[in-house]
Amino acid sequence: MSLNIYGQTLDNRLLIGSALYPSPQVMKQAIVASGSKVVTLSLKRQNPNEQSGQQIWQYLQDIITTTRGYLLPNTAGCKTAKEAITLAHMSRELFQTDWLKLEVIGDDYNLQPDPVELLIATEHLLKEGFKILPYCTDDLVVCQRLYDLGCEVVMPWASPIGTGKGLMNPYNLETIRARLPDATLILDAGIGKPSDACLAMEMGYDGVLLNSAVALADNPVLMAKAFAQALHAGEQGYLAGVMQERQTAHPSTPTLDTPFWHQT
Amino acid sequence: MNIFINGKALALGDKVNITVALTHHFTQPQQSTFAVALNGNFVGKADYDTVMLKQGDSLDVLQPIQGG
Repeated sequence: MSLNIYGQTLDNRLLIGSALYPSPQVMKQAIVASGSKVVTLSLKRQNPNEQSGQQIWQYLQDIITTTRGYLLPNTAGCKTAKEAITLAHMSRELFQTDWLKLEVIGDDYNLQPDPVELLIATEHLLKEGFKILPYCTDDLVVCQRLYDLGCEVVMPWASPIGTGKGLMNPYNLETIRARLPDATLILDAGIGKPSDACLAMEMGYDGVLLNSAVALADNPVLMAKAFAQALHAGEQGYLAGVMQERQTAHPSTPTLDTPFWHQT
Repeated sequence: MNIFINGKALALGDKVNITVALTHHFTQPQQSTFAVALNGNFVGKADYDTVMLKQGDSLDVLQPIQGG
């Protein structure tokens, strides 16, 4: 199992978020159990009266050291290209990485990405040397435009962030895979169950990014292990080649020399 | 002059750079993991001493947080 992110080969196809866990300790246990080598994080306004930011930063650094993994900062909360570009620069200075999960939200109700602002920000940041992992909808043309701009990785959503609804539009996602065969496609957001991740991998997706599905499980550590197995099963299924679906029934048992009750 | 840091008003003297303004924001010196934007534009650490603030400026001081 290897995942290619802008030339960096990773031996795991799961990217995992660091939010919403019951505690920092459970967060670390779950991320390590998942086998993921990429952990997402974000930025918020600093409160001078609390030390939590420093503590979280130390926890995340510890996780990355343990897993020999990588940090993937996001631009959560940005609603314009300008905001995202500013946050990208702040992230690059702070986290010392060119990788960026680029989010530009266009609607507060379903946190749907704004394709126009996303494309503007992507074009700008790619020219500045960022390695953009854009979070977008399952719109084929938007994905194509992002790829044409130079995004080696494209991350369409399964469904809105945090809903756990799984793959809303399998047809759209399959079409994106078919039309962008050389892109690294990572299904991002809306994953609820391990079977959702398995299905994405069966489609030939290169990876899955999730957070809530593990963090909000009754047992996040066990769920992290379940997702690891689901991704592996889905990838193996894809590589093995899934049989063609058929409209009519075909007997599995050979019909030659069937027993007496069908003999005339 | 008055500026804003993370939305909170702060009264400072004239000819204040970002480094000085930050000393009024932080309560403990070890809070070093942060990045800064001035009026919505990124300012790198190397420029904190040379960028002078003016009346009404708004600084955003951001720190790491968990994210998805």
